[in-house]
Amino acid sequence: MRPPLAPALIALVLLGPGAAAQQPSPHFDHYKHRQLFPSCATCHREPAEGEGALYPDPAACAGCHNGTVLPQVVWRPPEGPRRTNLRFDHALVAMMIPAGQTKPPTCLVCHGQEGGGWMAVQRVNMKQCLGCHGVTTDHLAAPDTLCAVCHLALPEAQALTRADIATFPVPPSHSEAGWVGGHGHARAATTGGAAVAASCATCHARDFCMTCHVDAPDRPPIQALAPDPRSTAIVVHLKAPASHQDAAFLSTHGATARRAPAECATCHTQESCVTCHMGTARVAAALPRRGSGRGVGAVITRRPPAFHGASFTTGHKEMAAATPALCAGCHVRDDCLTCHRPDAGSAPAYHPVNFLARHPAAAYARETSCSDCHNVAGFCQTCHASAGLASSGPLQSNYHDANRSFSAGHGQAARQSLETCVACHVERDCLTCHSALGGRRFDPHGPGFDAEQLKRKNPQMCTVCHGTAIPTP
Amino acid sequence: MDSRVQAAAYRGVTIDSVPASDTITGPSGGPTTRDGYAVSCFPGSAYCTFFRPGPEVDGAPATLAADLSVWGLGVPGLAFHAKARAGTTLGDPWPGTEPALQLLEGYAQYAMQRFTVQLGRQTVASRLGFTGFDGGAVTFRGANQRLEVRAYGGWGLWRGSVLPVTSPALNPLNEFRPPERTLVAGGGAGWTSPRFDLTVLYQREVDPSVDYFASELAAVTAVVRVVPGVQVSGGADYNLAEGLWGSAEGTLAYAARNGRINASATVRRYRPRFDLWTIWGAFSPVPYTAVDGSFAVTPVRPLLLRATGEYYTFANTETSTPLVNVESQGWRFSWDATYTPTPLIMVQGGYRADFGPGASSRGFDGSATYMVGERLAVGVQGSTLDRPLELRFDESSVVTYGVSARYRPAPRLRIELDANQYVEDRKRPDAAAFDWDQLRVSARVVFSLASHDELRGLPPAVRQMPAAPRSAP
Repeated sequence: MRPPLAPALIALVLLGPGAAAQQPSPHFDHYKHRQLFPSCATCHREPAEGEGALYPDPAACAGCHNGTVLPQVVWRPPEGPRRTNLRFDHALVAMMIPAGQTKPPTCLVCHGQEGGGWMAVQRVNMKQCLGCHGVTTDHLAAPDTLCAVCHLALPEAQALTRADIATFPVPPSHSEAGWVGGHGHARAATTGGAAVAASCATCHARDFCMTCHVDAPDRPPIQALAPDPRSTAIVVHLKAPASHQDAAFLSTHGATARRAPAECATCHTQESCVTCHMGTARVAAALPRRGSGRGVGAVITRRPPAFHGASFTTGHKEMAAATPALCAGCHVRDDCLTCHRPDAGSAPAYHPVNFLARHPAAAYARETSCSDCHNVAGFCQTCHASAGLASSGPLQSNYHDANRSFSAGHGQAARQSLETCVACHVERDCLTCHSALGGRRFDPHGPGFDAEQLKRKNPQMCTVCHGTAIPTP
Repeated sequence: MDSRVQAAAYRGVTIDSVPASDTITGPSGGPTTRDGYAVSCFPGSAYCTFFRPGPEVDGAPATLAADLSVWGLGVPGLAFHAKARAGTTLGDPWPGTEPALQLLEGYAQYAMQRFTVQLGRQTVASRLGFTGFDGGAVTFRGANQRLEVRAYGGWGLWRGSVLPVTSPALNPLNEFRPPERTLVAGGGAGWTSPRFDLTVLYQREVDPSVDYFASELAAVTAVVRVVPGVQVSGGADYNLAEGLWGSAEGTLAYAARNGRINASATVRRYRPRFDLWTIWGAFSPVPYTAVDGSFAVTPVRPLLLRATGEYYTFANTETSTPLVNVESQGWRFSWDATYTPTPLIMVQGGYRADFGPGASSRGFDGSATYMVGERLAVGVQGSTLDRPLELRFDESSVVTYGVSARYRPAPRLRIELDANQYVEDRKRPDAAAFDWDQLRVSARVVFSLASHDELRGLPPAVRQMPAAPRSAP
């Protein structure tokens, strides 16, 4: 007796995409043999005998493919569990009696191609399946309540490999605008009254959600899914929402985060915040910490904002002074002290290489405020003194010999560059001439000098030149 | 821990004298020594003075800086920070190596959501500069994080130093100094919003030995973000002690959304300020007003072009010096280009010119760096410099060229070596001109007791942060 053809034919088309990979020979070309077999039952047994019985005996093929009549073929029925997520079992066919009929459908009702003729078969005529179940939509747009009728949840379909899962067809809903947002897939996940929609559970597991959702432990629908690492075979990429593309987002996101931290918590953990806000980790208090059970979420790259232009290193004074809190969002004190510290002369990156050789030009007219970082006495005078440049006694020499009258006419240079003068000179050098108590008694006071103000704040400085007889302005 | 040792030599000048009767008339018509040094002869003095090349000073300063932060002490928010430096010289006396051990900062901090308290040696950064003191600081933050109020006070450190004004190390020329440490007190408030920032500051320093002011300052700074990418910032400080407006500036900055263009225009005024225990304020130093602009563009991704320029002019000094005419205005200009064709190669070159009162300079510089693998970077660099002085016959020119290497044999260890040849020519119309060529070698070793990867308790995002550019090899 020849084995029935129908069950084998059904099995072949339902085994799934990986079935062929288990066989040493390609799929059996049913249509090519259409004139050879008059009935499915020629090769396949009855469905009622179970899935394992549907496959024909390989010896039956060898009846013709014996190397003499036709070339030999090698074929074996697949072993192990079916690589599918279908609940369907051909043993149920006997109970599948359509309304108004008295017998189960024939093989070709479910597996035949419409208008294809005898043995023009396909894996399954999905339209026929859906029709019997009263569904008029496309398969992937079927109502959520019907998914579980035919399909196992992904974690239950253990025979599926990652490669099988990666090739799952994408439902059209996933391409709709807004699907990624909370009003898209999040709403769909809670459709139907169950903890999580069966349509989600058919293709996805908790691990898949954790690809993006760092708040997975706080999302009941996600927790309703069973974990399954294979689910990450469906690759998704976290994309920043449109709001993040706004040029002002960097400076305005704080208000959004304070108003609705839950929105941020979908993709961001505290680590997202402290990547930049490393000095003010408290701003991240409303977000969860990274940990097991949570996705990696958004990975933040710390980079300077656009207003940190190429010259910001030398031009950040105003901003740093006006908005220290803003600076503190990303910077810690150590960042400032790298340059702004008393031994800043040894700190790299602030002064360019060879600055020492050209520092006179920058210092004479104070390109920047040197004394903010360098103490004039401890930094300038000590070095100048060791180079023989500092005044070390009564003024008798004329170091400034470009003009032999410089000593007598240094007033303009001194008032313009007094900080430079005091890098080599001390007060007694000047008191030789500029004292009311002796010497030449040249008046040093110039524009803006407010004698009364200074006398009120510190009369001691007045006594250096005037003694106790400070003149009344 | 960051240790450096450098071998460098310099040669300054040393004052000498000669009997007036031994001088002769030089080629320019002025008096000189018999061996050609131009001399200054004060009327009535039996001796004339001059500066001859000074002795060679071979220095080998060595420093060891250490940063230490301790947290996780069982009390959330409690931490200790310390930053110290030890220095000595392995050769001739070297400026800045006394005292041998210096504590830059060392304080305990207790930080909570709404306030932070710091106690110990610390510095406060503001537009008034860096104010160091041994004392306490309290910072309060508003509930919405926009308002921040700070108050601080303690025994002061001298401006730009980690030593008090009473330290002998800060008085190399034996100047007048207060006998006791000054007392510092200050405070400020800042308001930050997405569009507008404002900060006001007040700070005073008092000499407790006489109970007079050493300084009293107030400042205001504001930033307005007009539209995304456009920002206006400005600020000014007022010297309450002298009744004078100090430095001020206003900047209009633009940053393109894609970060490829940055431009700014600034009007600024700089006026030096001196402590009231000196007499320098009585000499009425005048401010200068400058207009500057900067522009940076990235025409293609691996290329960055930058240019800056500034013109400044000093206020009227109200002096009459008919025999001496000095510059009262100047300008600065620089451009540079950085080309990074691959992450492994960086080529940089630029030009800088600075012409103004006292001294001028101009020169090119360039460097090329190549990463040999992930641990080693090698480079070559060179520069030229012409530096004429206005007040002394001295027109120096320096050409430098050298090599550098940065090696990171282990994640905790970084070694840097530099060797540069200096070819210097000091031009003068007398015998004091000399050439000063030398080879400078420096070595630096940085050792982290704990690297980022090992810091427990820090968020993963912080631990995984790439190293800042300044510490890259």
